[in-house]
Amino acid sequence: MNDLLKELYQEIILDHGQEPRNFGTCENHNKSADGHNPLCGDKVHLSFYLDENDIINDIKFSGEGCAISIASASLMTEKLKGMKLSEAQSIFNDFTKLVKGDADTLEILNDEDSLYALKGVEAFPMRVKCATLAWHTFKSAVENK
Amino acid sequence: MINTSKIRKDFPILDKKILNQKDLIYFDTAASAQKPELVISEMDNFYRQNYSNVSRGIHTLSVESTFAFEEARVKVQKFINASSEKEIIFTKSATESINLIAQTFAEKNINEGDEIVLTTMEHHSNLIPWFLVRDKYKCTIKFADIDKNGHIDKEHFASLLNDKTKIVAITHLSNVFGTETNSEILKLCNDRNIPVLLDGCQSAAHLDIDVQKLGCDFYVFSGHKLYGPSGIGILYGKEEILEQLPPYQGGGGMIADVTLDSATFTGLPAKYEAGTPPIVEAFGLGVAIDYVTEIGMNNINNHETELTKTALNEMMDLDFVEIYGTSSDKNSIISFNLENIHSHEVASFLDVEGVAIRAGHHCCQPLMKKLNVNSTSRMSFGIYNTADEIKVFINAIKKCRDFFKK
Ligand SMILES: Cc1ncc(COP(=O)(O)O)c(C=O)c1O
Repeated sequence: MNDLLKELYQEIILDHGQEPRNFGTCENHNKSADGHNPLCGDKVHLSFYLDENDIINDIKFSGEGCAISIASASLMTEKLKGMKLSEAQSIFNDFTKLVKGDADTLEILNDEDSLYALKGVEAFPMRVKCATLAWHTFKSAVENK
Repeated sequence: MINTSKIRKDFPILDKKILNQKDLIYFDTAASAQKPELVISEMDNFYRQNYSNVSRGIHTLSVESTFAFEEARVKVQKFINASSEKEIIFTKSATESINLIAQTFAEKNINEGDEIVLTTMEHHSNLIPWFLVRDKYKCTIKFADIDKNGHIDKEHFASLLNDKTKIVAITHLSNVFGTETNSEILKLCNDRNIPVLLDGCQSAAHLDIDVQKLGCDFYVFSGHKLYGPSGIGILYGKEEILEQLPPYQGGGGMIADVTLDSATFTGLPAKYEAGTPPIVEAFGLGVAIDYVTEIGMNNINNHETELTKTALNEMMDLDFVEIYGTSSDKNSIISFNLENIHSHEVASFLDVEGVAIRAGHHCCQPLMKKLNVNSTSRMSFGIYNTADEIKVFINAIKKCRDFFKK
């Protein structure tokens, strides 16, 4: 098997792609957004509850897409649950760099992190949009009043 | 029969190794065809030896450029058997050709309450220009149904035509199914004197085209899908119709006389070629047309339908492959999905094996909805493809299935 594919489709990616965590809609949410990749038709709906201390209390997603976009959304929700918004925003920046092949300049994420599993995307530039769809949806949810 | 090993030598890109190791297997000709050495070198040579602007200078280079540009027009005319070179308009793409017709035809002929007929499988390029017309003129668009193989439902289509139908715009060869539009569909329009635009983007590279026999009033295609360069499109339109339509864009080259108060326009084809046209691209398309004509469109068609049959038969034997449209008249294009694997995964997996296919909605979102899928993979063939490449592909999709099996 080709190394690039092994890097791209690590066990954890296939696992989250097939059995996404936090799948659905938060019953009680105050932030939500829809993300869409018009080039391929992948769609994500994200909802979460941001409490008065700016902590992401609960977060869920639904949608359809490829293994990379679903796994990325699933891993993202795991990562962000219980996290302070400002930290989540820094992770957004790190994650974007990671999948674009800029792992040397990360500020928070390191290779122990589950999100690091998506580093293999860097060898497939056309898949970066798949990996970042959920994150961009997160960003627009934050900006949605 | 065509000599594929000889043809393959004409395409420099086929020597490329993907990710430095795998032989390239290019199964994405429907998106854009690769270019033969002849087209590349002749265009290069044109820039070195003959290039200047067209139709406006007196000097030698201007004469040479103009001559070559107009010669390319005649090549296109003969290639699709138009009755006059005035009926051949150079644009930048098929998309621009459709927009040109949609806007000028609507301006002259479409009023509130009128109807346009399309099908549910049209490429976005043959949908959106008509949506713009609908918004502007408050007309209605009706969509003809298709069956699961991509054939237009003749009865349904006939039921949509009436006195309010001003134009019909349909694909000639579906970019998702690879099926050809039946001549009976065109006959229904001809019988009622309803103008027809045929989207020939896919058919021009695979079928021997005769626009007069087809009975279409407009036929559009792009040079890049016919082994020519990008940046050049063709609009064929019947002279008597084009003459009646208003100009599209204004600019140099399309005017007869200009004062500060008004302008008069030149005749066809210059009327629709405002500004400096894609000169070398038109020339390059002419070279590509010479190249395929030499091989013979019927030979090309036979070669590609054979390949399509071979691939279809092999794929139908695999229980994890879902094929969209399995009729035997498929030509060069097969859309499919592997069970429980998204088309992106298939495309990335095959890429690493050296096989280039397309994944996504193929600019046919309404059709994807109808097929009840989010996306599909699509393989498509050109003159350089071989049965051996199909074997590699079949092995690769088996490997892909195993890789993603839980
Ligand atoms: C059926 C069909 N129509 C229209 C187009 C648009 O062609 P272009 O992008 O070259 O204008 C394509 C190409 O993808 C096509 O396959």
